[in-house]
Amino acid sequence: MKKLLRIREFSTVVILLLEILFFTWWLWPDGSRTHPFFNASNFLLILKYSSIYGIAAVGAAIVIISGGIDLAPGAVMALAGVVGAELFVVRDWGLGPAMTMGVLVGLASGLLTSALIVVVRLPPFIATLGVMGITRGIAFIITEGQYFDVSSKLVGGWRPLGLPADWVAPIILIALAAVFQMLMTAFQWGRAVFSVGGNETAALFSGIAVGRVKTSVYVIAGLLAATSGVVLALVQGQGKADLATGYELDIIASSVVGGASLSGGRGSVVGAVLGTLIFGVLRNALPQIPGATFYDRLIVGLVVIVIVVVDQLLLKKRP
Amino acid sequence: MPTDPGLEFRNVSRAFGAVRALRGVSFGVVRGEVHGLIGENGAGKSTLLKILAGIVQPDAGEIHWRGERLHLGSPREALERGIGMVYQEMLCFENLSVAGNIFAGREITRRGRLAHAEMRARTRALLDELHLPISPDAPAESLSAAYRQLVQVARALAFDCEILVLDEPTTSLTDAETDHLFAVLEKLKARGTTLLYVSHRLPEVFRLCDRITVLRDGAYVETCERRSVTPDHIVRAMVGRDLPPRAPRASQVADRTAPPALAVDGLGRRPWFTNVSLTVNAGEIVGLFGLVGSGRSEFLETIFGLYRMEAGRVRVAGREIQAASPRDAIRAGIVLVPEERQRQGLLFNLTVRHNLVLPEQTARGGVRVRAAEERRTALALVDTWRIKTAGVEIPPDALSGGNQQKVVVAKWLATSPTVILLDEPTKGVDVGAKFEIHEIIRREAARGAGCLVASSDLPEVLALADRIVVMREGQIQGQVAGDGATEEAVMRLATHEGAA
Repeated sequence: MKKLLRIREFSTVVILLLEILFFTWWLWPDGSRTHPFFNASNFLLILKYSSIYGIAAVGAAIVIISGGIDLAPGAVMALAGVVGAELFVVRDWGLGPAMTMGVLVGLASGLLTSALIVVVRLPPFIATLGVMGITRGIAFIITEGQYFDVSSKLVGGWRPLGLPADWVAPIILIALAAVFQMLMTAFQWGRAVFSVGGNETAALFSGIAVGRVKTSVYVIAGLLAATSGVVLALVQGQGKADLATGYELDIIASSVVGGASLSGGRGSVVGAVLGTLIFGVLRNALPQIPGATFYDRLIVGLVVIVIVVVDQLLLKKRP
Repeated sequence: MPTDPGLEFRNVSRAFGAVRALRGVSFGVVRGEVHGLIGENGAGKSTLLKILAGIVQPDAGEIHWRGERLHLGSPREALERGIGMVYQEMLCFENLSVAGNIFAGREITRRGRLAHAEMRARTRALLDELHLPISPDAPAESLSAAYRQLVQVARALAFDCEILVLDEPTTSLTDAETDHLFAVLEKLKARGTTLLYVSHRLPEVFRLCDRITVLRDGAYVETCERRSVTPDHIVRAMVGRDLPPRAPRASQVADRTAPPALAVDGLGRRPWFTNVSLTVNAGEIVGLFGLVGSGRSEFLETIFGLYRMEAGRVRVAGREIQAASPRDAIRAGIVLVPEERQRQGLLFNLTVRHNLVLPEQTARGGVRVRAAEERRTALALVDTWRIKTAGVEIPPDALSGGNQQKVVVAKWLATSPTVILLDEPTKGVDVGAKFEIHEIIRREAARGAGCLVASSDLPEVLALADRIVVMREGQIQGQVAGDGATEEAVMRLATHEGAA
């Protein structure tokens, strides 16, 4: 299993490298101009925006491995950003407490989701569809169509712990990904998540507290989505109800491209993060190709299908 | 011997990775006969059937039917060549009606629209022919296991199959239902259908089959005329050795003063069972016999914390427990080896190692995964249990059915439980594996565990248990022990003339 996982993540890395090579070649500039794609500041840009997806994708991957699905992360991101920004801008809270409250939005939405799934026994798709509507709705009610301007209040820019703001999202992502990769592979909790996703009945019979495992999974997914929402609000400099619209599907796609199986029981946190980088590079490079403007969505869709199909073919070959 | 060429296997071989499931198997099935195919788990029966069903393609070798070579690239091609299958693990669309099940995948259509009336009529004709008192419109989920199995037979017949393959069709059937099935099969035989019958139950094979082919370790051993062999001969051919005589078991642990391992008092859970009381002493094996629908599985599952008990109490070694979940039960020293290994027993996305150590770990509540330690534990279990597997780092679906079952039993016993509940522990496994599983239950009892074995396999219960408690319609009907434990006595209690 470990070997298989290693191989699976290896192939995701290969795809990512091939993708970077391709765009480096395709976008090679004339003369001595700097390369528009292959340069440090562009890579930092890719990393910054991918990290916002990536933080939520860590949670999405865990949910998918547990055999569930979460449609709410985009909406939770928006609400977390709105709550944090409202407290910071309108109510004049300190940045730390305001953003902590934003993150706690994820705790609330995660608890609501898991109550619907574990207690009311709704299918995850329906439960999270509902929570998506509720959280996005509350975000609109709070903002009343306005937005909270965080950037104007952050005088002199935002330099947490003396770091450049651009580095914050990637650092948070790397730290969280490392922690959850460890938890998923080297701890009983992760084993329990894989067990529940692989065969819920057998997991129950084996003495795993299935309800508790599911609750933990959706709470973690909520907290991670809220964290990325707060980061997004800070990076964009505003809290707005329609931020991160449609992100949930990109986040799910990233997890799947990174090896998670929608039928549960398979996947990895690192794979999901690599998946968001694959999409991050696409989103960054495609608009730079002259004439590709109208094609980028089509291409992104094709990439998802091709990667998953190729993975299935490879999976058959593996013993 | 075959004058009219029937079904012929010629040098059929198939390997899965390093495991050679079939090695050059050749034998013939005469047209119109009932041919028994038996062998231990891992003997290659399932693989051979899968090849015949078009699910798996052979690496080498040919299959001929009436002198013509068959190319079976998919289940559909097999069906079109008149090969019908009745599987052991029941394939049933619970969401469809009986008629829907029978015509699933090859519905009758008129101008592209489903011809419901015609399918219903043909289903009714088939059901009448098989004397099945069920409606074509009955939802499959409302049928008992036996009727679902018979619907599978009807499905095969609806396709006018010439060869009907049955893989362990009686696993979940009662004796009366088995009789019914056999009557149907006799009728098919009279009609000229060739039957290939796979079973672990020797009495059935002897009752039904004209000739019997034995496979062992993927190779052909012999084909015998039923009239000229004894069951002992067949068993020897299957295992390749004489089974050791059953060790006489030291009768139960003598310490009568100690509280029983399990004491159930007035347990109730409607609508399945009411007011059930029984005790299992430490070191004792108690059989819990009841037909399908008697409430015995639900009774075990309630003790195991899967359902909330409505009335009564459960004590383990004198201590009252309130198991709200299997986790609680396992921690209190109760394990349940469940009936359906595919659904309730195994995690196919994880390795054999993970499967084997899981209950023990959850009981202990460890935090870290200790791979090296797990590996040692798992390898030790594989060794004690003689589980045939290419290591512990492979998923369980690479193992044969009997070996999967051993994994299921082993994983729960690794917790050294006080009380072991077993629900049909040898369902669908062959003589050799059954023997080994019985030995292990006896060993656990000798260690001091109280074992409660629910089974609808009466000879098994009689052979294994010190005492047999009989359940019917959710109530204990009585118990038999010692010389009083005869097949007749148990069946009387289980069926009608309740002594209660």
